[in-house]
Amino acid sequence: MNHLIEAVGLTRNFGSITAVEDLNLIVKDGEVFGFIGPNGAGKTTTVRMLCCLIAPTAGTAYINSLDITNPDDAIKIRGMIGLLPENPGLYESLSAYRNLDFFAQLYGVPKGKRDQRIRDLLTKLDVWDRRDDPIAKFSKGMKQKIAIARALVHEPDFLFLDEPTSGLDPQAAITVRNYLLDLKKEGRTIFLNTHNLDDAQRICDRVGIIQRRILAVGSADDLAHKFWGRTTLVKLKKITPEIIAAVNALPFVRSVHENENTIAIDVENPENDNPLIVRSLINAGAEVEFVEELRRGLEEIYLRLVGGIR
Amino acid sequence: MPLVMAFVMPIVYLVPVTMFAEPTDERPLDLTFNISATIVGGNITDVSIKDLRLIDVNLTNSVVTGCIIEGCDVSRSIVFDSFIVESRINSTLVVHSNLENTARIDSVLDRCVVIGEINEAEKFLKVFIDSLLMFFILIPAVIPTVIASYSFVGEKINKSLEPLLATPTTDTELLAGKSISIFLPTMLVTWASLVPFVILVDIIVQPVIGYYPLPNLIWLVGVFILAPLFCILSILINMLISSKVSDVRASQQIGGLVVLPVVAFFIIAIAGLVTLDFVLMAGFILLTAAIDVGVFYVSLKVFRREEILVRWK
Repeated sequence: MNHLIEAVGLTRNFGSITAVEDLNLIVKDGEVFGFIGPNGAGKTTTVRMLCCLIAPTAGTAYINSLDITNPDDAIKIRGMIGLLPENPGLYESLSAYRNLDFFAQLYGVPKGKRDQRIRDLLTKLDVWDRRDDPIAKFSKGMKQKIAIARALVHEPDFLFLDEPTSGLDPQAAITVRNYLLDLKKEGRTIFLNTHNLDDAQRICDRVGIIQRRILAVGSADDLAHKFWGRTTLVKLKKITPEIIAAVNALPFVRSVHENENTIAIDVENPENDNPLIVRSLINAGAEVEFVEELRRGLEEIYLRLVGGIR
Repeated sequence: MPLVMAFVMPIVYLVPVTMFAEPTDERPLDLTFNISATIVGGNITDVSIKDLRLIDVNLTNSVVTGCIIEGCDVSRSIVFDSFIVESRINSTLVVHSNLENTARIDSVLDRCVVIGEINEAEKFLKVFIDSLLMFFILIPAVIPTVIASYSFVGEKINKSLEPLLATPTTDTELLAGKSISIFLPTMLVTWASLVPFVILVDIIVQPVIGYYPLPNLIWLVGVFILAPLFCILSILINMLISSKVSDVRASQQIGGLVVLPVVAFFIIAIAGLVTLDFVLMAGFILLTAAIDVGVFYVSLKVFRREEILVRWK
């Protein structure tokens, strides 16, 4: 089965305002893809288009090779995806169980499987004991759990999550995040809208940074390498001018910066270059304590891309 | 509320009428006939006849005594101690006779009993009872203005519409599902309130008119055919409005207008300007059914999942 999401020139205008412009994207089978961007960047609009809730103004997207702009395909797509919207949107007067049962029926889950499915989900999310309580009595974190269970009640191939940890207290956010990591282990294809960069970094295989247009796509490391190259950090007992000169003399070194007893060396290919750097340092009389790669967080990448535009 | 109204309406509307009504005396005069011959058909003019049975005769300028007159046209005559059945009398004086199902034009009755004629109280009660049928058409038209107007806009406000629209349900299923979920409780409440209403009306009215007026065929047709059609119309219009506005109150206020034609008819019926009969009911049923189909078609055409979501407040 060719499980993937492919957007081709996906564009959506609201009157004279362009919310999403020429979005080209591929999400691979079993991948957790993070979609990050500031408020109003077009994340929710993109998810709504991919879930066939709103139509694109131009371009299209394929979910498992089904075209979102084809009305017949759209019904099939809606049947194979699970959506967690920005707001849980549960029926407050119904119990957790009835909420899930209602949606299971809408998704056509056979009667014989519904109860077991709901039991499994609520047990896994640790809310089985409160299955008969009306949603109105639930905390925000518990409602979010039920909403996630609702998105999974029909065992969808694709999961679209719009800000799953938004507005949750730290403990609830951790519970939800851990559950998402469990889902990742199950090999589900997940499209995660978030502006929680920490979540994105921890959960996602790749991220797409959007601000109306896609600014960058890749894993956090790939994006860092793309924008800053790669940097080797070497901590020494003591730095001398001879040591700096020895490193600068190496032909593959692009630049060297020193900070207290650490030197940061920008290189193209640390796997090949680092042994030569270390040998050169030792030859220059340096005593090496640590050698590591400088890792830049998603936050740095995000701010460079989005902040630059702002 | 409809149940409460079902108890209140007969008491408020019918009890005052029955208090002023006179019981109908339908007992015929005790006449004795001594029929000597029967005349069938023909014209009889300027004669004095006695103890005859006249069938389908045109009788003019005559004096009739002790006769049985069936299906005749009697004009400019005087009739004594006779029994006139299913005939027409014109400019005639009738004295001490029984008249049954007989049309009268410019005639005078003296000490006669008119059998089978509806007295004023019964006429009045019939108009009132007919007008109350509108109440049972109003209930299913009014309830959806509250429930159906909430159907989409209420879900919009509770943010529960997006997950619902993300399911593989089609627009037809969505509209039909919501309609049925409003239709069933509405009609059940309507029909449930009909039971005490009918019992109460019969208890109040029977002593006055001598029979149980409800349920009758007009009412059954009205409550079980016309009322559901009005209910569907109200549901569809209110759901249509609900999917187009972004506020429950706006939806209810605009949707409430759908009951105006029913209210107008209710007032006309109370005023006695129209009488409910099968022709009128059939016309209403056909018209309402046609509008139902039209509004459902329009609802499907103008229903836009996307519009509901992007105009989300």
